[in-house]
Amino acid sequence: MLEFMDYVLTAFHAQSRWNRDNSYASLTATAANLLDFPVPNGIRLHVSALSSANFASSYTLGSRGVVDGSLSYLYTSLGLSIPSRSSALHLGNLVQGYRHLAALQQPENLRLNEILRNGKKEERRDALLYGRLYLPTSSLEALYLRRISATRLLRLACVSDGTLPNGGSILAVLQNDFGKYSTEYLYSTDSSLIGARGLYNFGYDPRSPDKPSGRTPAHPWDHQGGRLSAGAEAYFSPMNKSGGISTGLRFTTLPIHTGFPYTMTLTINPLMGNLSSSYAVKAGPNLAFCSRFDFNVYSYESDVMIGMELWQRQQPSTEVSWANALLRSDWKRAEADPNGVLKARVDNHGKVGLLWECRVKELLVSLGAGFDLKKRERMLGNVGVEPASDPPDAIIFGAYSLQGSRKQIVAECGYNLASK
Amino acid sequence: MAFNFNWSPLIADTDRVREMLTSSLNKSPKPPIIVDDIIVNELNLGSTPPELEILEVGDLAEDKFRGIFKMSYTGDAYLTLKTRVQANPLNTYLSTKPSFASPQPLAASSGLTIPLQITLSDIRLSGFVILVFSKQKGITLVFRNDPLESLKVSSTFDSIPFVRDYLQKTIESQLRVLFMEDLPAIIHRLSLRMFSPEHQSAETHDPSKANTDERAPIDPFASSAEQPTDSFGQPLEGGTLFSHDAPSETYASFSQKNLLRLAALTESQRTLSLFTPGMRDTVYRAWASSADKNDMSNGISTPLHRPTLSRIQSTLGSHSAFSSSAPSQASETPSVHSRPSLASFPSAPTVYSLGSTASRSRAGRKRKNRVVNLRKEKVEGDVSDMASVSSGYPESANPSATGSAEASFHEDAAAATREGEINTPPRSPKKKVGFQQSDTTRLGADSRRPVTPRNSTLAPPPDDDDQTPRASMYLPIPDEQKTPQKPEPRPSRQRLSRNQALPDRVKPPELPRSASDISLSNLPFSADGSSGGILEQAWMMKMANEIARKVAEEKVRRPAWRSDDEEGIGRRGGAEAPPAYVS
Repeated sequence: MLEFMDYVLTAFHAQSRWNRDNSYASLTATAANLLDFPVPNGIRLHVSALSSANFASSYTLGSRGVVDGSLSYLYTSLGLSIPSRSSALHLGNLVQGYRHLAALQQPENLRLNEILRNGKKEERRDALLYGRLYLPTSSLEALYLRRISATRLLRLACVSDGTLPNGGSILAVLQNDFGKYSTEYLYSTDSSLIGARGLYNFGYDPRSPDKPSGRTPAHPWDHQGGRLSAGAEAYFSPMNKSGGISTGLRFTTLPIHTGFPYTMTLTINPLMGNLSSSYAVKAGPNLAFCSRFDFNVYSYESDVMIGMELWQRQQPSTEVSWANALLRSDWKRAEADPNGVLKARVDNHGKVGLLWECRVKELLVSLGAGFDLKKRERMLGNVGVEPASDPPDAIIFGAYSLQGSRKQIVAECGYNLASK
Repeated sequence: MAFNFNWSPLIADTDRVREMLTSSLNKSPKPPIIVDDIIVNELNLGSTPPELEILEVGDLAEDKFRGIFKMSYTGDAYLTLKTRVQANPLNTYLSTKPSFASPQPLAASSGLTIPLQITLSDIRLSGFVILVFSKQKGITLVFRNDPLESLKVSSTFDSIPFVRDYLQKTIESQLRVLFMEDLPAIIHRLSLRMFSPEHQSAETHDPSKANTDERAPIDPFASSAEQPTDSFGQPLEGGTLFSHDAPSETYASFSQKNLLRLAALTESQRTLSLFTPGMRDTVYRAWASSADKNDMSNGISTPLHRPTLSRIQSTLGSHSAFSSSAPSQASETPSVHSRPSLASFPSAPTVYSLGSTASRSRAGRKRKNRVVNLRKEKVEGDVSDMASVSSGYPESANPSATGSAEASFHEDAAAATREGEINTPPRSPKKKVGFQQSDTTRLGADSRRPVTPRNSTLAPPPDDDDQTPRASMYLPIPDEQKTPQKPEPRPSRQRLSRNQALPDRVKPPELPRSASDISLSNLPFSADGSSGGILEQAWMMKMANEIARKVAEEKVRRPAWRSDDEEGIGRRGGAEAPPAYVS
């Protein structure tokens, strides 16, 4: 589940119309969502609030070590219109599952962001400031986002920690999104790492809009129902005299595709000889599967991981069941709000991960467990629970539900075997 | 004294060493580039043992041993390690950074682990080693300086010069850390494991066989000190020097004679009697602990201490401020204060420096300070201060050596060079106990301290090679003076170097000779015609008789002395008993 601050960030991007999917870094986002979900460790409580449309705060308290926690604050110049109560948040927005790619945007469409300033039409320059302080370790994270232009986003991420060399590092990323392709340039002060990423989408060119359906494909990979994207990245560090490159390919079906939506990716690291391929399919409105296969041509190491995601939807209440009966089968039905999500993964080393995310009264709870089937004596690796309570009057509710469900939390403490 | 290494058993039992090395290598946090455990694949100790030189033997007892050695190893031991390393530098770099400010590459940081095998060979070690053994606490071996001189690292990446050089540099630095910090712990644990369950059984069962087989698998780089052999050619275990060999039985229990002698000694301390019985088969425990604390400061009070090169110079320098610094330098400050004779010889520093420089220049090599400064303060007069007394011996000997002829210094230096393992400290020539002018004071002073008989010459006899003020300064040991070059095998020397045995015990074969040679005219007293007088002469006669008696007893008791290890002692001609060890 996304933390509240990440959710706000997503909302910021969505509201300022920044397509986060159009980047090489999110080439394998679907597979990562389905397979690399984080299993909570120990108990962690989040209390967050959206104090106003521009300001959000979040506090966490965890049990790593004796106790650990963090404070975070966020300010945006763009007023966010996200629901402020956790009961109103759509779980689908919080839980990242199978990712349906957003449509590519034309740069011209972004003129909707123009505002009138001093009599001149100017593009909005939205900014976002975010800071997080981890208390026992005294490390500070900061993020600054600025939409420089319709197609450009500057991102500065800093970490300040006494244990790091030079006290911390700053990462500056300049992202350009031109619809058909996107580029990113990044620089990190830590060992002077320079990087560049690029992604190119074949087929549909938003700059020359065309109705995708009914159009004959112009070239073999112009599959209107799907999008083929290819990208590459390169990094170089003059201080370490080290670097890395990789290239990747992704094919994903667009929503107009008939049949099961699926996504296939292939990433190659030619220097290290790593091949990674994944295949994710959404088998139904509530079910998605994913599998990934890694292989190294130099060391012949291989890895297989299989994951699954199952959504639990709210059953329509009995009062409206008569209305449901009147619905025709071919009418498109809106999906009911999800109540909970179950995610599972297993890899060929016998490691199993389970995650159950649901809404309990006003709390959003994540329960997770990690198993290691190969170790007979220590099967249960880590168990954790992360209740998140959201905004304003939920604070009262948070307290209430903490009290009300305290025995729940206490009971879960008993299952917390190896929180590390 | 010499060390014979029985190197082969070490090679046989390397499994435990390998396990301990593996666990110690993996104990400390590994750099992120190493992704797997470091496993010791093969450990071969080679065919040549390291070379040891004893510099100092500090604490010597049945259950304790402490010594400083100079070790050098130029053998063909080799060690093979096996591990896996991460070949993607971006992976190792990013794995240690927080993910918030990391570029989070998609696939550029995927890892590639490569198995790596490293062989360390051509190891050259040279350094000073302090070995401490105690039955209860095991063996501790500490390097005083960084012993690693050079090392050859060969690995699976030898074809890549950059990686090869990087590995060489990294492993050398890690090995230095290992020698200085981890090795003592490893050996200590090994020794505890070896000795604690087995000591009890070893003493009840047949000792010699059991110990020979269960020799602790010591790390090869530190095993040098673990395999000394005694004069009987049997390999001694480091520390179990006296408990498991044939002659150990004699040490295992107190001899009645020694007890009587100790009682007599105590009595003589209390009554200011000059009688100092010679003790046989005893180990004098020098003030190891206190002496250790005062490396430099003991320059005056224990001038024979720490004859390492650095210390020699320091003590030389300290000698220059002898009289003034004596009170401050003496760790056993009471001893200094209570020995006004020390302060009353301001010329002693010059004597020291003279003798020491002469001896050093002559010797051309480091003198091993085997003489324990047993002349500690004896005002309290307890028997346990026997060693302290004798440790204080050299000091009082030194000032009295002021009158010694310069020639004697040179002779002493020459004699010292002739010595074998047991060398007198560089200042020993100065320590020649002379009775020329200080006899009365010396005697008076010594009457407070039961002087341990040692092979010291009281006066600077012209042919006295060893000017170490030994405890037997009151004993007419003219045999030492007479036959300094006599290469008589003194099998007991070996032990004596640790044992602080009496000179008479050391050279029983010569005593008859010496007894015949004993004549008052040879005594320093008579030579100087000092005010020693009749009292001293009578006392000397008495001591000579006693020495003869003891020699006879010793001969009866020890018929099977081996002589092969006594070349050092033999070189000294048996003229003097092995000096008491320096604490």
